[in-house]
Amino acid sequence: MQTEQHFSASGIPIKDIYTPEDTKDLDYDKDLGIAGEPPFTRGPYTTMYRGQVWTIRRLSGFNTPEESNKLYRQEYELGQTGFSVAPDITTSVGVDADDPMVEYEIGHSGLPLNSIEDVETAFEGLPIDKVSTYLAERGPITAMYFAVAEKRGIDLKQLRGTTAGCMLSWACLNIPLQPPPRGYLRYGVDFIEWCSEVAPRWNPINHDSYNPRDLGLNAFEELGLLFAAAIDFIEEEKRRGRVPLDRFVRRFSFNTAAHNDFFEEIAKIRAARRIWYKIVTDRYGIQDPNCAKFRVHVQSSGSTHTAQEPYNNLIRIAYQTLAAVLGGAQSIHANGYDEAVCLPTDQSMLLSIRTEQIAALETGVTNTIDPLGGSYYVESLTNELEERTWEYIKMIEDMGGMAQAMQDGWYHRLLREKPIERQQKVDSGEIPIVGVNTFRFEKEPYKVPIFKPDPATSREIQAEKLRKFREKRDKAKHAEAMKRLVEACNSDENVYPYVFEAVKVGATFGEVSKAQVDVYGEWPYPIGL
Amino acid sequence: MDESKIKILMVKAGLEGHWAGLIVVSNAMRDAGFEVIYGGNMTPAEVAATAAQEDVNVVGISSLTANYMLTVPAVIRGLKERGKGDVLLLLGGTIYEDDFDALKKMGVAGIFTPGTPMEEIINFVREKTSAMVK
Repeated sequence: MQTEQHFSASGIPIKDIYTPEDTKDLDYDKDLGIAGEPPFTRGPYTTMYRGQVWTIRRLSGFNTPEESNKLYRQEYELGQTGFSVAPDITTSVGVDADDPMVEYEIGHSGLPLNSIEDVETAFEGLPIDKVSTYLAERGPITAMYFAVAEKRGIDLKQLRGTTAGCMLSWACLNIPLQPPPRGYLRYGVDFIEWCSEVAPRWNPINHDSYNPRDLGLNAFEELGLLFAAAIDFIEEEKRRGRVPLDRFVRRFSFNTAAHNDFFEEIAKIRAARRIWYKIVTDRYGIQDPNCAKFRVHVQSSGSTHTAQEPYNNLIRIAYQTLAAVLGGAQSIHANGYDEAVCLPTDQSMLLSIRTEQIAALETGVTNTIDPLGGSYYVESLTNELEERTWEYIKMIEDMGGMAQAMQDGWYHRLLREKPIERQQKVDSGEIPIVGVNTFRFEKEPYKVPIFKPDPATSREIQAEKLRKFREKRDKAKHAEAMKRLVEACNSDENVYPYVFEAVKVGATFGEVSKAQVDVYGEWPYPIGL
Repeated sequence: MDESKIKILMVKAGLEGHWAGLIVVSNAMRDAGFEVIYGGNMTPAEVAATAAQEDVNVVGISSLTANYMLTVPAVIRGLKERGKGDVLLLLGGTIYEDDFDALKKMGVAGIFTPGTPMEEIINFVREKTSAMVK
């Protein structure tokens, strides 16, 4: 060693220089192969970005379905190629806008989607038959979305999009009225089974490690959680035996963060593809190669953005976006540079879309597939991350799997410790942040434009719409559908055919959620100081 | 000054899920020697009730959505109703600068945006509470 020891962000020792010696054990056909072929390390598709560039998709939504619809139209006009819908916190909690519990929350941190009418409004005029949609929720809103699509004459068998449905990210929110992990797993698996039948091109789950990563976990811990959770879902279906595993797994999708350590993030996505291939093929013996393709949406890491000198975030986001591209992501969200300061301005939204378009069209990085494949360093990091991820998965499985580890409080203890650890490293300077703990000005050198939403009236607007909506619905049909839904929740049956029927006759999101949670009782989160 | 005599209630007023900042600051306060009650997510009414019941000296609210202009006044009303109008009220998170004046007029003593060094928050609390304990 010529110089001081360096480490990657996840603590992997990094050498001065990498040579053929570091990749001598690599078997090209077995460990890499070409893109679109097992083990898919170099990419899930044969042509990758030469055939089709990644989907540009910003997670967004605010105030009301009406105002969010305007935003989605604007994003589409700017060249966004997928929609991505962030429901507000009431929708994550599972109550309707007129619930006293959410008096101060409507339209903050997303848009309220309480009824099929809200969903209809949010997507009015948007080409959802051509463009795929991501819904950051766990099932019932997707059922409403399917009903809206049907009403518009779209064949559900052709409908493309993704439902979040991931317990890892949901559990990070630490919000009330949530079922315990086993309840969450049950409804999640119900939803996947149901989608595999009614909407086979829809991704019914998006295993998502973005939130835990952003709370301070490192790259291989992120992947470890991601796959441990995915394994839980497969194990649950294996236990049930209702849907063949190849059909169950075929539309699994994934979501990770792109953090600061450029090469490690690239290696992470490459390693993830090889690990997923091995889980599907070696562990579960699923033969359909489509099931073994790790398809991933990557979002730049919000926790790396700073309120100090916000334009610096543009640079961070561009590097993180480039890491996602060089890693071979299928869909990317470049954050707004101002998200540590406010909800993104129109200018910031434009820059976010432009960041991806410039990477796609100007930099030439899309010219060839997996351009870093074969790099002594990147291959070595990919191997190292894979190995550490397997160890992490094993540790979680030894605890009884992800849902059990959540139930026992392990996951929340981890989530509590990581941000504190990260802050201590920031305070000590171990993690340098330019403009914050390094090169910080006494006084902020400039200001950026601010967007200040005014959701003050959103609650009244939504509550009034709900009142009318409930008045209008056929009360007998609604009562009957709710009765059947509650019965299904209390049985072993798949609840989603009943959710679908219920939302079509006017059941609200709050009503459906209540029926689901009541069976298990509210799970009090184990987060404390 | 004996810091352990200073009691601090740390909360998110409302249901918003971004609690990392709250737990980080709460932990730093505890390490600095204050007695910290980690309230997590609470309604404004619960914040006021808990502050009164625990007879705290300081209430720290974290907000990463713009709903602080609704929740903070509600907390202040509740505190006054319970005779706790004298607590030192802190607000942290993504707070719009053009709300600072209005918030201070309402009675928010300190506002801390992301990236504020922990030491700065701790020193602020020490200074402002030094008269509260013998």
